[in-house]
Amino acid sequence: MHPVIPYVVAALLFGVGVYGVLVRRNAVLLLMSIELMLNAVNLMFVTADTSIVGVPRSGQVFTLFVIVLAAAEVGVGLAVILRFFRLRASVETDGVGAATETDAPREADAPRAAVRPDPDGEAR
Amino acid sequence: MNPVLAADITLPHINYGAIAPILILLGMACVGVLAEAFLPRTLRYPVQVLVSLVAQVAGLATIIGLALSNYAKKPTLTAGDALAVDGPGLFLQGAVLVLGIVATLLIAERSVERGGAFVAQAAVTAGSEADAEQARRQPSQTEIFPLSLFALGGMMLFVSANDLLTMFVALEVFSLPLYLMCALARRRRLLSQEAAVKYFLLGAFSSAFFVYGIAMLYGFAGSVKFHDIAVAAISSGKSDLLMFIGLAMLAIGLLFKAAAVPFHVWTPDVYQGAPTPVTALMASCTKVAAFGGILRIFYVAFLDSRWDWRPVIGVIAVLTMVIGAILAVTQTDIKRLLAYSSIANAGYVLTGVLAMQKDGISSSLFYLVTYGFTVLAAFGLVTLVRDQDGEATHLSRWAGLGRKAPVLAGVFTFLMLSFAGIPLTSGFTGKFAVFSAALGGGQTTLVIFGVLSSVLLAFPYLRVVVLMYLQEPAADAPTVAVPGALTSAALAIGAIVTLLLGVWPSVLLDVANSAAQFVG
Amino acid sequence: MSIAPYVPIAGLLVLGALFALFSCTIAPLVGPKRFNKAKLEAYECGIEPAPVPAGRFPIRFYLTAMLFIVFDIEIIFLYPWAVSFDMLGTFGFVEMLLFIVTVFIAYAYVWRRGGLDWD
Repeated sequence: MHPVIPYVVAALLFGVGVYGVLVRRNAVLLLMSIELMLNAVNLMFVTADTSIVGVPRSGQVFTLFVIVLAAAEVGVGLAVILRFFRLRASVETDGVGAATETDAPREADAPRAAVRPDPDGEAR
Repeated sequence: MNPVLAADITLPHINYGAIAPILILLGMACVGVLAEAFLPRTLRYPVQVLVSLVAQVAGLATIIGLALSNYAKKPTLTAGDALAVDGPGLFLQGAVLVLGIVATLLIAERSVERGGAFVAQAAVTAGSEADAEQARRQPSQTEIFPLSLFALGGMMLFVSANDLLTMFVALEVFSLPLYLMCALARRRRLLSQEAAVKYFLLGAFSSAFFVYGIAMLYGFAGSVKFHDIAVAAISSGKSDLLMFIGLAMLAIGLLFKAAAVPFHVWTPDVYQGAPTPVTALMASCTKVAAFGGILRIFYVAFLDSRWDWRPVIGVIAVLTMVIGAILAVTQTDIKRLLAYSSIANAGYVLTGVLAMQKDGISSSLFYLVTYGFTVLAAFGLVTLVRDQDGEATHLSRWAGLGRKAPVLAGVFTFLMLSFAGIPLTSGFTGKFAVFSAALGGGQTTLVIFGVLSSVLLAFPYLRVVVLMYLQEPAADAPTVAVPGALTSAALAIGAIVTLLLGVWPSVLLDVANSAAQFVG
Repeated sequence: MSIAPYVPIAGLLVLGALFALFSCTIAPLVGPKRFNKAKLEAYECGIEPAPVPAGRFPIRFYLTAMLFIVFDIEIIFLYPWAVSFDMLGTFGFVEMLLFIVTVFIAYAYVWRRGGLDWD
């Protein structure tokens, strides 16, 4: 039997994660959405493992690797976001890039304040 | 326990000699962590610099030893086929380490900015009294050295990984330290931490795509080894769709690290916000690692399906070259200018990669090394132009530097000419190599766009040169710091290699040619 | 593909949804309604609940939780090794020792740099 339903569920989970990353503006929720994507991948690995004649249980072991790397990623990511929160008192990603003007007052002098807004607005 | 299962497990044979360079780097990184834990504060800096440089030099020596003892000619797979020790792998590992040593010299510099370019305690809130205190007085934290060793070790693992899972682990091993290193700037910490948040979120997003691609290909081929994927790709009766979705997802993850359009949006902000020595490390070593992974995946796992995906990657290469060059023209900040230039350069390497034949590999390898040295020297010079707030990176502040600091302006002009691809510089020989390889591989369109975009890209470089020589310096123009011994060494190495490979490219091109054979 | 094994699950889902819908719609319709003030107040006794001000809390909670999770998850690699220990033999044992040593290096760093001190 080809396990279609778990694959479809995994694809949906991944899609929900991508949607979350694209529409959410809260850094912590973005992180959660990325975790959702990784968990979709775990589901795919475990599902593929059952229907493959290869090295036994290799898919399940891959899942362990993904889980550990996801945890490491969260550790680093939350630390970075926490520092960011201490500075900005907000985890909204909309304002990322607007900081140059509000940085330490000494830095707001004329030539460098003109750096933004950028000509390449697409880079926001 | 199931006896059938038990019979299936064969213990992998690990050739420790062949993977010694990676083990040395990661082992010495652990030593660095221990030094950080147990040594008194004053001893940490000299010990860490020593550990860092010894690890990289020892790793490099081991790589040269391996290359001379014919691992390049008779490549092997080891650790259960997870790692490939072959010509390109050794060359790329060596390139990562050579560039890493120069970047480490920049990172270790402590006389240009008193105490070093990194924050003393990352936990201090930016803008507070304590922050001003650390910026004035305390020396940099030394965690940056083990972090950079982990990153370099991960990059070396990445370029020699022979299955997708090892590649994913290596990708994370070199990305996670880089995210943290971005956040460690001593000055303009808000910008630096924003860069880290942006780099982290987008990087994690792209690596999620990468691992989704791995799952697809695992479902397609029943294995994550490159060889098995290549075999599955030519066997009939399997759905190609799954393979192409998987390949597309993998390419997103890899092209993100290589900063190719349209996965480049993080590059200018991160290059600008990160401490300049870290930017230099990212622009040189990360690029080598990312293209090492791209080369291996395209040339080993997907060589036989190249007619299907080459046009798509070709479009990305064209976009990368053209958009990188156009946006570089509009920049007013030297670090952002170099960032867009690095995007365009990713397009040139991609052009070489798409030749899909032997000299495509060798020219890409050559280009990565030439570009790495030039960009290291360029960012090294950026650290020297300072005013009381730190580095003066706005282009208008660079006006008239030719009069105030003729040596610096001369070297920077030379590097800009190399970026612009003027003959007698390594920029010219590198571009010549990748474009002729692409022509040989039938990629005429790519070469036309490449030449056009490099003409366009010459404009912003020459504008900086004109600015430095032909404009009056402002009254409060930034001073040019006297480089310390480490920065001087890094600048000298970068500039001399740029000249040497421009005048006498065959010295490296021959090595790259003899290394350009992947193990299947 | 075969849907058949999933049919009972789908049936259960439908039944569950129907039951929830049934109880929610029927109960207010058939039940008696007698209002008084006490019923609108908080349950039984105590003071009126007020929202806790979203104040600052020590960073140690974050640090401790994070360290716990990272070390907790590292141990996941011991599980497949333990399952197939007798097949992996000395090789597996040595490799796992190496792994534990690296985890302890991280632990030593955390311990020496005060990551485990609560005060």
